[in-house]
Amino acid sequence: MKIDRRSFLAFVLGGAAGTALSPLPWKLTDDISIWTQNWPWTPVPPKGETTYVDSTCTLCPGGCGIRVRRVEDRVVKIEGRNDHPVNRGGICPLGAAGAQLLYSPWRVRQPLKKMDGRFVPVSWEQAIGEIAGVLRELREAGTPEAVAWIADTDRGTTAELCRRFLTVYGSPNFIRTPCAQDAWETALYLTQGQRATAGFDLERATFLLSLGSGLLEGWGTPPFVFRARGALKDNNGRFVQAEARLSKTAAKADQWLPILPGSEGTLAFGLIHVLLKEGRERKPFVAAHTAGLEELKRQALQEAFSPEAVAQATGLEAKAVVELARAFAAAERPLAVCGRGAGRVPGGLQETLAVHFLNALVGSVNVEGGVIAVPEPEYIRWPEPEMDAVASKGMQTPRVDGAGSERYPHARYLLNRLPEALLQGDRPAVRVLFVSGGNPFYSLAGGERTEKALARIPLIVSFSPFLDETAAAAHYILPAPTHLERWEDVPGAAGYPKPVVGLARPVVPPRFATMPTADVVLRLARRLGGPIRAAFPWESHEACLRQTLGPAWETLRRKGFAVEEGFKPQPFETASRKFEFANADLKRLAAFRPLPAPGDPGAFKLTLVPFDTLRLTAALGAPPFLVKALESEILLKNDIRVEIHPQTARDLGLADGADARITTPQGSARVKVYLTEGIRPGLVGMARGLGRGAHDRYLAGKGVSANRLLALVEDPSSGLEAGWGIRARLERA
Amino acid sequence: MDQPKNKRYGMVIDLDKCTGCGACMVACMAENNIPFRDDDTDKLLSVSWMHVYRLSNGKPFPQAEECFLPRPCQHCEGEHGHSPCVSVCPATATDYDMHTGIVSQIYTRCFGCRYCMAACPYHVRQFNWWDPVWPEGMERALNPDVSVRMRGVVEKCSFCYSRYQTALNRAYVEGRRELAEEEYQTACAQACPAGAIVFGDLNNPRHRVHRIVQPDLAHGGRPRNPKAFRLLERLGTHPKVYYLTGRDWVRRAGDNEVQKS
Amino acid sequence: MDSALIPKGVERCPLGRFLAFIAIVGAVLLWGVVAMFLIYIKGLNQTNMNNAYGFALWIWADLAVIALGGGAFFTGLLRYIFGKAELKNIINYAVLIGFVCYSSALLILAIDVGQPLRAWFIFWHANVHSMLTEVAFCLTCYFGVLTIEYIPLILENRQIERISFFRHLAHNMHGIMAVFAATGAFLSFFHQGSLGGVSGVLYGRPFGFRSGIGIWPWTFFLYTWSAAACGPCFTILVTRITEMATRKKLVKDEVIDLLAKIAGWMLVTYIAAKIVDTVYWAAVTAPAMGFTLMDFYTNNPGSAYGLWILIAEVGLCGVLPALMLIAPSVRRNARLLFLAVLLAVLGACLNRWVMILQMQAVPVLPFERWFTYFPSWQEIATTILPVAYGIILIAFSYRYLPIFPQEAELNPLPEGGR
Repeated sequence: MKIDRRSFLAFVLGGAAGTALSPLPWKLTDDISIWTQNWPWTPVPPKGETTYVDSTCTLCPGGCGIRVRRVEDRVVKIEGRNDHPVNRGGICPLGAAGAQLLYSPWRVRQPLKKMDGRFVPVSWEQAIGEIAGVLRELREAGTPEAVAWIADTDRGTTAELCRRFLTVYGSPNFIRTPCAQDAWETALYLTQGQRATAGFDLERATFLLSLGSGLLEGWGTPPFVFRARGALKDNNGRFVQAEARLSKTAAKADQWLPILPGSEGTLAFGLIHVLLKEGRERKPFVAAHTAGLEELKRQALQEAFSPEAVAQATGLEAKAVVELARAFAAAERPLAVCGRGAGRVPGGLQETLAVHFLNALVGSVNVEGGVIAVPEPEYIRWPEPEMDAVASKGMQTPRVDGAGSERYPHARYLLNRLPEALLQGDRPAVRVLFVSGGNPFYSLAGGERTEKALARIPLIVSFSPFLDETAAAAHYILPAPTHLERWEDVPGAAGYPKPVVGLARPVVPPRFATMPTADVVLRLARRLGGPIRAAFPWESHEACLRQTLGPAWETLRRKGFAVEEGFKPQPFETASRKFEFANADLKRLAAFRPLPAPGDPGAFKLTLVPFDTLRLTAALGAPPFLVKALESEILLKNDIRVEIHPQTARDLGLADGADARITTPQGSARVKVYLTEGIRPGLVGMARGLGRGAHDRYLAGKGVSANRLLALVEDPSSGLEAGWGIRARLERA
Repeated sequence: MDQPKNKRYGMVIDLDKCTGCGACMVACMAENNIPFRDDDTDKLLSVSWMHVYRLSNGKPFPQAEECFLPRPCQHCEGEHGHSPCVSVCPATATDYDMHTGIVSQIYTRCFGCRYCMAACPYHVRQFNWWDPVWPEGMERALNPDVSVRMRGVVEKCSFCYSRYQTALNRAYVEGRRELAEEEYQTACAQACPAGAIVFGDLNNPRHRVHRIVQPDLAHGGRPRNPKAFRLLERLGTHPKVYYLTGRDWVRRAGDNEVQKS
Repeated sequence: MDSALIPKGVERCPLGRFLAFIAIVGAVLLWGVVAMFLIYIKGLNQTNMNNAYGFALWIWADLAVIALGGGAFFTGLLRYIFGKAELKNIINYAVLIGFVCYSSALLILAIDVGQPLRAWFIFWHANVHSMLTEVAFCLTCYFGVLTIEYIPLILENRQIERISFFRHLAHNMHGIMAVFAATGAFLSFFHQGSLGGVSGVLYGRPFGFRSGIGIWPWTFFLYTWSAAACGPCFTILVTRITEMATRKKLVKDEVIDLLAKIAGWMLVTYIAAKIVDTVYWAAVTAPAMGFTLMDFYTNNPGSAYGLWILIAEVGLCGVLPALMLIAPSVRRNARLLFLAVLLAVLGACLNRWVMILQMQAVPVLPFERWFTYFPSWQEIATTILPVAYGIILIAFSYRYLPIFPQEAELNPLPEGGR
């Protein structure tokens, strides 16, 4: 057949028309659009049965009740429990992002051992066996005290098992990571004779004076404190924040007193001064329930605490100090709190005492709307373990951190003193360090010196579920399950004024070959044998928990928490049975003296003050949702932004967003600046929680860690960590 | 059986209670499968249905004050449901539901022209500039009640519409046609630890939102409570998100005002 | 080599030179195509748009080319409906330019959407309340009309014309062109207007929002009117540029003069209306929404959007070219005429720019700041892509099709010709 031009054209045109009229192009167009609606690389979460499991959040010392939504065996959402007394349905950003920790690809999936600088997987059997071997050697050498344990809590069965293990092994060096409670607990003990934690009846206070506490930035149990602040507002109460920065807390206060940083204690004494001078203390309470007022008067009525002197020290006007004192005294239920920022640094003991005295003067101690001594939980009643000679001898040795020594008789744990102790001598005092929480390699201040000190320890064992900085520096990682995969009793909620115990439960089966830290302890004990083994008669952590809680176990398992609703604070247990403004112990303490920021003010014209935010975390790395929610005033691309006042910026020739270099006596780092009227000129504000050396790619390598730029500052009256800032220099980069 | 009356779901956010903590944002992200990226610091490229603004009174230290303003979709009613965005979408991919007053977005229909984004003065509409990617394993935390959005479409706050549907389904199974106030709550309102967010039916005088706001329904829901205000009231968008404050400067920051000289 | 394809009675440059020119422009085109594929594969993250700038360079380019392509419908209207017969000497080119403009607009739109593969939902799930729906329908239909208007031109190619079917087809299509011209004018009125409505209806955007009649904001009419005024200016501008490039006179001065005069009077009326609109907006519409005029023009970074932009748009590129074009002395001066149409074209472009870009730059929430935007290279390349494509299409059309009826007469061949 001959194809001429005409027939060819007819064929082409006819073909085109025919195809267009056929369903083919339409079907194709439709199919392509359906494909775009179902791109295979866009995940479709599988459907399934939805169930809710109640548990307790253990991501911070708060112990909020959580309600976990599961679809089949997947955790899809974490909400606050409406019926939980602490958080009443509220939840903090970290708790809400908890599922991201469970499903983080940066979890440690099995025991790891570091060989030639790299982690290799080992069996649980091998890891525990090898560590037990080292422990046996140390005992055989008669130096069991060379083992130390850092934990982020000293309460609950897991912590108690760890401590018991150390005790029967022969080491007194169980160290709880520092927090503001360290100072508060000591203050309660010294003034009230009570071994208790400080609870704050914030919900019922009518005048809240916060001396630098980041009440809305992680202090205490955030949902509880937040709700309390809402209640204060609803009750037309008053909230005054004394802080150098317009923090979120200061921004939400009824009054912001922009005091000079580090002058909180002086202000507290200044307020006491006015109260006593004007006779505004609650006389019935003071007369009936306190002792040693004369001594306090002698101390506080010094010229150094007169309104004029305090005005000088705090940067406020004398009138403002007097007015604040009067308003505080006149309020129905005034309450003063302290513990800077999120309260992760204990602060000076004298400062905390001053705040506590202030409360006592207005009768706000162990009463409604005041500071409440919440007794430590007593459900753990194990028989005293039998100790062999090695253990007894080891337990006689002084603690490596100096806590409880002649010099620091009231301190229980002084982690901040550990780095210097480790740097002494040819061999570090600690040969084996267990770390179950707290991530000291990140969260301890002191920069490289601290890191160098910790790195001297020949064997570090981390129990972290995640590859955090401490885990990365450890020799073994024995990963614990996350907070959604394990049983845990959670006694107390930070700052909550009633005794409460929560139960965290495995919401989903463990994803990886992890082991609860308590079970590792039991296994180590079994390996070591003898009296150590005998001290741990339990099959497993869960069994231990059951037996320890006894009849309470069933209640807790069913309800998830137990709270002492009608709790009444115990009477004071001092010799005088009164609140003591003065006694022999108090007298022995180094006198109050505001601690300056370390560094030479001549060489370092500015002062760096760190601050906390709920959109970042401390020891734990912030999960991706938190980093995403972080303000661009704090993080921009990979650079942290430091807050400075426009006046400071002008003096330094820095524009908003400019690159700069910050230098402190501890180190130096690149930052970007953020100009705000919300900070006192001369200060540099820096968020804590960035500058991570490990963790996931959403967090790692972003910004710098304030802890690396800060120095460890020891409170002379207690040995506690009391750093609030450091002198610094900022230059254009 | 009586036909259920139309609802007008809305929200009141007490700016004097809000602490700017970000729990609402994170709860929203978890509930609604919001993607995240290596670098989410450019907020104009980041998807977040709830955004917390930081407002400043503009005064020098130490008179400086700040306030935090959480901004979900305002679910504007406009005139008869003609919210700024709904009327402009060429493909009917966004809709004003007369039964609930919720402005919805149909992701699979949206073809990404972004006209609605240009229309919205509140910047609540956000575009998926990238494919959503979850690190290995983390997609297990995705909520099956909310579909994951593909690249190239606009998304926004839906007042947790899936929670409304779940609650309604449960009610129907139990033979009820009306939802109690607490049965349907958004993730942000539920999470807020400060109790700053209240959610409910503005048409229902028993609901807290109604009692707080006292909306003047004849005038687009204008609040009768003198402490309540809406963002950009003058535009006539008639949002269903109200804000409460006792601070004058915060109130003024909610709308533009031509200075009378 | 390609002489058999070149129209009778005219001369074209050697094929080699032509191909070299095409290769240069083609390289630019290729650059644009690379950018286009990058965008298709990686997504719109390749642009510098963001959630505050959902509409940016591309939408501006769309609005601008459609306004400038308005020369086709308006010249057609004048030629076929109002019987301005002289304009038959430029109508072909006006149609070609229109075709280039509208095909470019469609191309850019296809790149601009996040889900191009389901962009047809705009037709299937059409929302009648949306200005964009109206734009999409009218634009597509009008593009069809332009194609129909362009086809007879192609059919007039020397070789194609030899096939009797095509010859007859072209003849018959010419015969009914008035119908298409009328249809085109009708469609253009609506989609030009709808494009004006795009920002005019945004009552959440005080900079763009305008009151109006019924569902149509004032910008609806202003856009149509400005397209009718500036479109012919663009036709004249491109004709002049083509004449410069080919070093030939292609259209007689009286034809240009007529079109310029009409465009001038259109521009006068448009700019008068625009001034009234601006004053009303500044004095009534915006203040009711809480804005003063100066809120829109101050406190932005680098004063990118200062009052100068309004003065430039309305004064320098509005009033000035309008007055120039209605002055016969200006129209007779080739340089001044060129300047006048250039200013008018810039005026239209500037107007579209502010109505899209500045509209989004202005902070509406009092606690927000001005939003800044600068296009990425991918955006720029894909915006230049249609320009290169337009040049190539015009070059081919000019070379092989009898676009300019007066060319042979104005440029007689030296020796009897071909």
